[in-house]
This record gives sequence, C-alpha cells and structure tokens, in this order.
Amino acid sequence: MDDQLLSIFEQFPNKQRDDLIPLLHKIQEEYGYLSEELIIETGKYLDISVNKIYGVATFYDNFRFGPKGKYHIRLCHGTACHVSGSGNILSELEKQLHIRNGETDKNGVFSLEVVSCIGACGLAPLIEINDEYYTQLTSDSLQKIIQQYRENHSNIYEN
Amino acid sequence: MSFTIYVNNTPIEVQEGETLLPVLRRNGIKIPTVCYMHGFTPSGACRLCVVEVEGKRDLITSCTYPVEPEMEIKTNSMRVIKARKALVEMLLANHPDDCLYCERNGNCELQWLAEEMNIKERLFFSRKNSDKRDHSSPSVYRDPAKCILCNRCVRVCEEVQLVTAIEFISRGNKTTVNSAFDKGLNVSSCINCGQCIMVCPTGALVDISHIEKVQSVLDSSKKDAVALLSPAFITSVAEFFNLKAIDKPTNLLKTVLAKMGFKHIYHMGQAADLNIEMETEALLSALENNQTPIFSSCCPAWIKYAEEFQSQMLENISHVKSPQQIMGRIAKYHSESKQEQDIEKLYTVSFVPCVANKFESSREENTQKGISEVDAVISVREFMKMLRSHGININRLLYEKNDKGLEYVSPAGYQMGYSGGKAEAIAHHVNHKIFGKNAEPIKFSPPKNPGSKREVKVKIGEREIGFAWVSGIREAQEYFDLLKQEGRKDIHYIEVMACQGGCAGGGGQPIATYIDKNKQRKKTGQELEKNTTYDSPGKSEKLQKLLGALKGDKGIIEELHTQFRKRDVLK
Repeated sequence: MDDQLLSIFEQFPNKQRDDLIPLLHKIQEEYGYLSEELIIETGKYLDISVNKIYGVATFYDNFRFGPKGKYHIRLCHGTACHVSGSGNILSELEKQLHIRNGETDKNGVFSLEVVSCIGACGLAPLIEINDEYYTQLTSDSLQKIIQQYRENHSNIYEN
Repeated sequence: MSFTIYVNNTPIEVQEGETLLPVLRRNGIKIPTVCYMHGFTPSGACRLCVVEVEGKRDLITSCTYPVEPEMEIKTNSMRVIKARKALVEMLLANHPDDCLYCERNGNCELQWLAEEMNIKERLFFSRKNSDKRDHSSPSVYRDPAKCILCNRCVRVCEEVQLVTAIEFISRGNKTTVNSAFDKGLNVSSCINCGQCIMVCPTGALVDISHIEKVQSVLDSSKKDAVALLSPAFITSVAEFFNLKAIDKPTNLLKTVLAKMGFKHIYHMGQAADLNIEMETEALLSALENNQTPIFSSCCPAWIKYAEEFQSQMLENISHVKSPQQIMGRIAKYHSESKQEQDIEKLYTVSFVPCVANKFESSREENTQKGISEVDAVISVREFMKMLRSHGININRLLYEKNDKGLEYVSPAGYQMGYSGGKAEAIAHHVNHKIFGKNAEPIKFSPPKNPGSKREVKVKIGEREIGFAWVSGIREAQEYFDLLKQEGRKDIHYIEVMACQGGCAGGGGQPIATYIDKNKQRKKTGQELEKNTTYDSPGKSEKLQKLLGALKGDKGIIEELHTQFRKRDVLK
C-alpha cells in the first residue's frame, strides 16, 4: 500500500461501514478511478467484503473503474437533452469512438460518460469535453468535433 | 397480547407483534412471495405478498406489515390479484423462457407463479443477461439470465454463511447477481457449499452436473464404474421415498446402482469409520500435547472457508481426509477384491448430498500422478434425475429380494450426516480407545434448549473432555469468536459443518424451498443407524482388519491424511 492511500485511510480512523462511500470518493479524487487493487485495500481496511464494495460502487454512476481518456467526454442525458435526441448522439459517439458508456478507448485518448443534467437545457443536446461545451449537437457537428480532437491529438503526437 | 383480525371476512386470532404473512400462512392462506425466507428479516422487495387493507389507500406487503387490532384485509380481491399478476409479468420481461431446457423445469417457483397468475403471453420485453453465464466454479453454475433478483442467494451467502461471494452488481435494469469485478465464482470467496442453489427460486443457480461424465463411463467397456454411497446420501434417498430401516434402503440402492451399470458398490460408512478412528487418534495426541481444540476436517466447504478466512486455524484442523476421499482412495488403491487391475480402469463416483464434494474431488491434494481418488460426484438431485432417465422405479424394486448386505459399518457414518452426530461418535470412540472392550458406556446428552450452546462435556476416565458442534458458517464463526473472547480451554473437539443442520441440510439435497427437512432427515438417519452391523467403529471387525492391513504400511495411513493451505481469494 502506498503512502498516498494510507493518508486517505488515516482520515477515516473509525473504520465504520458509513465511511465507505466518502472513502471511495476520496480515493477516486486522488487516483481518478477505483482500481481493483484500491477496492481490495479498502475492503481490508474497513473489513467489508470486496463484493459488497463493488456492489455499492457500481450502484452509483459517480464511480469509475478505469482511467479517464485524455479527452473525457460527458454526454448530458437529462430530460431536455433526452427529448432533443441525446440518445442518437450517444449511439453516434459509440459508433465513432468504438467505446460504450463508462469505457475508455484502447489508446487512452477518449473516454465516455453519460451524466444526468449538466444544467444547460436551453442548449440541448450537448456534450462536454474537458470543460469545453459543445451545444445543440447534430450527428454532423458531432463528427466534426470528434475529428478535430483526433487531429489535435495526432499533431501533438507527431511534434 | 392477542386480538382478532378479519381476513376475507373470517376472524383470525393473532399475537401482537406478528407480521401478516406468517399469520396468513399459518391459517392456510397461500400468499405468493419470492424474496421472503423463514428466519430472515423480511425485506418487502418482491412485493408479491401484497394484500389489501381496509382503510389504506395502497396495497401493503404482508411480510413486513405488523398485525393491528380489528384490521380487515383481503388477500384475493381483484386489485390484489391484478397487482401480483403485473409483478410476475415484469419478472418475466427478461426471462429466457427456455423452461424445456432448464434444470428446474417443473420445480421452479417462477414457472408456478406464471401458471397461478394465469399468464398467457409475454407483455414486456427486456434485454436478457444470457452473456453473463459463469461456468468457472467446480460446484455451482450461474445463469444470470434466469435470475429474478429475489436476493435469497445473496442473503444466505452473507447472513448464514458469512462468505459474501455474490452481491448485487450495478443498478436498475442492469442489476445482476455477480461477484466482484464481474469475475467468476472460482476466484471469489465462494466456499462451494451450495446453499445458494437450495434457496434459488429458478434455474439461475444449479450444480455443475456430472451426470453425463458418469453416463459415458457406465456405457463404456474400457472403464469400470465404482459407486461410493455416503450414509447421508442413503438417508436422504430413504427420506425422499419414505423408506424405513426394514426396507433396507442400502441394499435397495445397491440393486439400483447395479442395474445402472456400476461394477462395484461401496458403503462410505467404512470410510467414515476410518475417519472417526484417525480423528480420534488426532484428538488423543492433541490432548496429550496440549494442542486442543481439534476441528473436524470432513466438511470440504468448511475447510475452504478456513483456508480463505481463518488460515491461522489450519494447524488445529485434523488432517484426516474426508470420508469421500478415503473411500475413493481405498476403492482405487486398496480394495480387497482388487486384482491386477489397472487403477486407471476404475472410475469412482461418489453419491453425496453435497456440492462442495465436487470441488473437493478436484483438489490437487486428492490426486496422485494425475489420477483423482474420486472421479465424479453425484448429488442427491442428480441421482433422482438418473433414476428417472434410467426408468428405475424404486417403489417397485421394494418387492424384489434385496439381501446383499453392504451394512458392515458402524453408525458413525450415519451420525456424520447431521450436526452433532460426529462429535458424539468421536466421544464414544475416545471412550472405546482408552478403555477397550471393557469400556463403560458414556452418556452423551445434547442440551435440549434450542438457544443453548451446542456443547457436551463427557467424563472419560479421570478426564473431562469437551465436545462442541456448530453448523452454518456464521454460527461456527460466532462460536470460535466466543471461545477466543472468553479464553476457554475446556472444549477439546469441535465438529464444524458448513451447512445448517450438517449434511442433512446440504447443498446437494433435493430442493424443498419452504419445508425445513433437516430434522426429518436427522430422524431417518437415526433410524438407519440402528440397522448397522456394529454399534461403534471400534467393534467393527472389518474396520480392524482394514486398519491392520493399512497400518502394516505407514505410507498408506499417510495417504489418508491431507494438507491444507492458505488461499488468497477476492474477499
């Protein structure tokens, strides 16, 4: 166990079951996601079965089990976005990136997360890529955006 | 305090504090449910047990609702029936509808519910989970497509067995019962006890079947099938077909198995006698060296639990192999009738009320040069299936002459079939070993109170020896913790069975969801005990002969002992 994790555990000296979710949040903040190893260590620390922790963590959309990509795409699936066709945007994204909700592509470039309302319902449907917002999307505009990011990435890679 | 409630306009006397469901059931009113389990805190999750209460706007779940004075309820109004039907229709939304090919065809609670609710067509369609099947375990096969998320397996695994190998993973319509990181049961903390199978209402959890393996051997001329009958298995079959000791169930089974094509048939009671003999020796030497308590080693699920969770206890567990492995070993390598037969030609099949034995037979320690001591393990359920596929009618065979005896055993084997029996057998054998033939019979009287600790202290000679027995891993763990906490040294032998009630409640018994058959099986076992040839392992000439032959070669006794190791699993 590394010191980083140890210092997170030290913030929860009571080792109670109630500590589980705040602890997982802290770990995700530090490490970006919950790896198998981190879940196992958490289980040992709190004396809770790994299966139980995994069950709790998969219940909430907030927890991730793999690293984010370089470009993390969050697709809004709130009510307004839903009625303006965010479902189509999702299938377009999945087609373009060959990944599904919650996954990261093989090269670690893109990752996709479907979230509840982002709070920009007037501009639906929309996605957010690393804090940049792209609004009132259509399949065509989405394709261009993704293409742009791909080119950016390969330019950086080549130089 | 008792008062009256009105159920469908009929007055019923109830006690304050009771919940509705047990009251209704007690009065013969059938209430469907899939999540309710006797002895567990009701969760009200499946909502099938809804009833209508006069003056209440919504339907209420009878399993969680306490009785109130003068309450008027309806259990079969149109509203109730419609609500239940809708619930079952939704349970069926992602069900594969492959009843014809299902292990539980004809014995499935979901099938019964669909029939009772008069469901004629599929109303809802949803994604099936057929891609998540898990073949990885040697004992338990999981098919999440058939799972209706009733929570019973998860609760048994956590609350009775303390293992938590499975849990609800994910959320909403994506929920499945699975182990951590969606890995197979083989890397989880599963101890293969099979209690999840016993409570599963559908075919989502079944045992890994060995029927086809065995069938192909029965038909081949290259191999000789050898049947090893465990006493608990004989008890279970006798109980199932309502056979009495006078019907000689063992001899009957011998006839049946010979008809199926088994060449040799052994009574595992002999191995149980050997197990008792060797475990008694282990206890006596531990008493001498002050290394008590000694834990029994005959339950493979308990052994796996100890290897995973309590590795510091491993050295105190007796290293004697379980009766199944002892019998397999003897049948393959040391049988009396063995001629210059090639060991590879023999194919040993054990018949047990257990699914953990399937795992045990595949343990590396229980093989030699790639040859298993026990090649296949048939549970009581599988045996019933084989009976049907072979077209054998047990009741008809009762009229045939069954006088070929197999019962050259002591009652110990049958005693090992229920919780507390083995401790008693060991106590008697300790007495016999110390005093020989002139031993005064000892009194082994278990406490009668249901809540009391399962302990007996027996005065043998000068010494008082403490025996204890626990069944169900939670009960076992709580007892160990208590012993440790109180620093007690007065308990010397502890019998541990992973299933509640011992093998009588084993994971390979016939599925009988709402009926607690453990006690009945114990009674049947105790009746069969009386019919054995010898009254204790010490008096068995056959055992003494076998032991004499075996003891001539120290290596053989070593073969009948095994090693346990710490296991690193996801827990």
